[in-house]
Amino acid sequence: MKKILPFGCSLLFTISLVTSLKSQTPTDAIMMSKGLICVAVVYTNDTWDEYWEGELLRVNGNVGTLTRQTIMPMATLGIGERFNIIAALPWAKTESSGGQIAGTSGLQDWGFWLKGTAIDAEIGPGSLTLHGTAGITGPASNYLADYGPYSLGLGCADGTLRGILQYKLNMGVYLRGQAGYHLRGNARAERDYYYTTHGVYSDKIDMPDAVSWGATLGTWLFNNSLKVEANYGGFNSLDGHDIRRQDVGFPSNEMINTTIGGGLQYYFPGIQGFGFVLSAHQVLTGRNVGKSTAYSAGVTYFFPVWKTDETEPIEN
Amino acid sequence: MKNNLYLFFLLTVIATPIIFQSCDDESIPSYIAFDPYEYATLDDDGGTWNPNVMTSPSQIGIPSPTAVNSPEYQAELSALKTASAQLTGEQANAVEYWAGDGLVRWNEIARELAAKYNLAPAPDSAGNYPAPNPANPSKYPLFPFAHPPYASRAFAYWASTQYDALIATWHHKYAFNRPAPYATDATIVTHLPKNALPSYPSDGAVIAAVSQASLTALFPLEKDFLAEKAAEHKNSLIWAGVNVQSDITAGDSLGRAVWNIFKGRLGSDGFKFAQTPKPISDSIRDAAEARWGWHWVNQETPPRPVGITPLFGKVKLWNVPNVEEVRPGPPPAPGSLEFEPYAKELRDIADNLTKDQRRVANFWSDGLGTYTPAGHWNRFASNEIIKNRLNPLRAARVFAYLNMAMGDAGIACWDAKYFYHYPRPIQTIPGFKTILGTPNFPSYTSGHSTFSYAAAEVLSHFFPEDAGTFTVWADEASISRMYGGIHYRFDIEAGKQAGLLIGEHTINVAIVDGGE
Repeated sequence: MKKILPFGCSLLFTISLVTSLKSQTPTDAIMMSKGLICVAVVYTNDTWDEYWEGELLRVNGNVGTLTRQTIMPMATLGIGERFNIIAALPWAKTESSGGQIAGTSGLQDWGFWLKGTAIDAEIGPGSLTLHGTAGITGPASNYLADYGPYSLGLGCADGTLRGILQYKLNMGVYLRGQAGYHLRGNARAERDYYYTTHGVYSDKIDMPDAVSWGATLGTWLFNNSLKVEANYGGFNSLDGHDIRRQDVGFPSNEMINTTIGGGLQYYFPGIQGFGFVLSAHQVLTGRNVGKSTAYSAGVTYFFPVWKTDETEPIEN
Repeated sequence: MKNNLYLFFLLTVIATPIIFQSCDDESIPSYIAFDPYEYATLDDDGGTWNPNVMTSPSQIGIPSPTAVNSPEYQAELSALKTASAQLTGEQANAVEYWAGDGLVRWNEIARELAAKYNLAPAPDSAGNYPAPNPANPSKYPLFPFAHPPYASRAFAYWASTQYDALIATWHHKYAFNRPAPYATDATIVTHLPKNALPSYPSDGAVIAAVSQASLTALFPLEKDFLAEKAAEHKNSLIWAGVNVQSDITAGDSLGRAVWNIFKGRLGSDGFKFAQTPKPISDSIRDAAEARWGWHWVNQETPPRPVGITPLFGKVKLWNVPNVEEVRPGPPPAPGSLEFEPYAKELRDIADNLTKDQRRVANFWSDGLGTYTPAGHWNRFASNEIIKNRLNPLRAARVFAYLNMAMGDAGIACWDAKYFYHYPRPIQTIPGFKTILGTPNFPSYTSGHSTFSYAAAEVLSHFFPEDAGTFTVWADEASISRMYGGIHYRFDIEAGKQAGLLIGEHTINVAIVDGGE
């Protein structure tokens, strides 16, 4: 069977969420070959100066522009030809240009995913693949989820199952669709009463489950050294409540957005294993989330961890 | 390899719900559940205690009840017997929810409304802030904005009306001495603990009527919601087999009549002038500048032109003779040598905030969208009432003095706030950032401290065995404001002194009301 992309680096896609919050998830169709590991560090700068309070798009002079910077180290290891493990541990920092609320920084959510190939078939002038991922993320520090747009994350465990279907022409162009279901545990506040659509006498925050989805059109160019793609996707909480007028965002808000973006991934032909990634995303529509504009840049490096019969020589 | 993959997915699909079940609690409570309890005492002399606003326990008369052997009463008993014999699930839930007299449940509802309406008006597109209008409550911004002064006043009216109304209830109960239905007819099925209180008029119906009337006046947009709750509460007394319809009808009319007495006070206590127009607000600011050489300025963007209720300090007090009596001396001038260590202390806290300090700041924040500090102390009082199995009269006495004390605390604190017009830390310390939002009123003195020490003092009087805990809570609530970066230590110390004095004034009234 033909190797899918022996020299691609599977990366996590960062979903720009909430008034502030983010999560990351694998959405691509790249598998690391057995024994091969890809390590990457990606920096993201995400800003918004408007957010949706319920369905109302507004500015808030006491926030001004909210900036969230994230540095995400991640690694993807091929433990079998059809079987990868992915791990990530982002560090984030938030601050605003307006108002007097202190921003914060620290480790956000650790993440651990298993990714497998369910279908890999040559059909017509290309190949059809179906990948599945199962992952879990959860707070890696005791950051306060109940901190409005400044919160580092949603503060809950998130178990996600995702299917990724791709058809790739042998000439390099591919079209991919993916969708995942997020089963979410409780977040926690540092108070034992809060009001959503009613009072709650607990420090636990019942997080609604969610789905995220996306479509990507891309191509490999220059003898498989450059990947260019455009994507469109979204995130939908399946329940939750709106931010009330002039209230502060809360983790269990009904968060919805659609995002458009593009990116490229490049592998230096002369330098074995090295590459870089660039991407940009813009939130188009939303509910109880920030209208984010995000830019990412990162470096990737892959190398064999162990030598097996199945490990292919890396040739760029 | 393929088999491994399927196995892995299968395991994941099976394991994920199990992992999440353990941390995803289905029953996050939206109210505080407790078992209906048998009253620790009945206070059969309660009808002789001194009401606060009513002139006497017998000020409002109610019709004499029919005799227990009359055909009318026998018909009522028979209807009750049928109603309580078999309950639907919904009826049984209602009986358990209201737990009979329903006083702590109505307190919870009052807290819920305070939280629901505790949102500041948003600026319009021109950067102006519209104000809630009691004459047109449903037009945004909704009326009321239940900020801490509004909420403390609301709780005070709700509670003091309950107390007077229940003194009157006890007076009539023991004057007419109609036994409980189950005492007359032992075959009536009851779903609540029995007691030896005379049943006419129904204390539960009085509490429902006072709650409905007072909370509707204070939160007019909740009229229908409150009517529905009151109807359910009164019905629950029949479903529970503890009151016949005439007990309830008499209690209902007594409760409404007592509220009508308090309604007069509500309309004339000076609150309607508290949220001043800008020119008056500016003149208060200018007077402070002339007197002290400083003034507070709201730091929001766009700036709010008027702070929260500049003239709330002029509202009629409950038990404190006058605000000057509890008004503290002046704080150190901003920027002075004496001031600097206080500013440095806040910078040091902010720079080295521990996880525990953050937790304390958040736990006591009681800010926008919450039931405010007064609500927090009502919650503690409710827990004590349940723990000590207080009958509704004695429970109302706790709520009344607690909330009159916090009402006075709000008034006295607001007097100091606008008399001294002291700038907040974000105004005096360049570049200072906070983890809590700074409220829209001056700094000195701390509302949390004034409310909390007044509350702790009163609750310690009623529940001396837990006095130590109340003091710890008041200390924590107070210091939390420094951890949050929104108060100086001298705000807190002055608030504490005033709060303790207000508590004493309140207790001095309580100890001579006949209920000790």
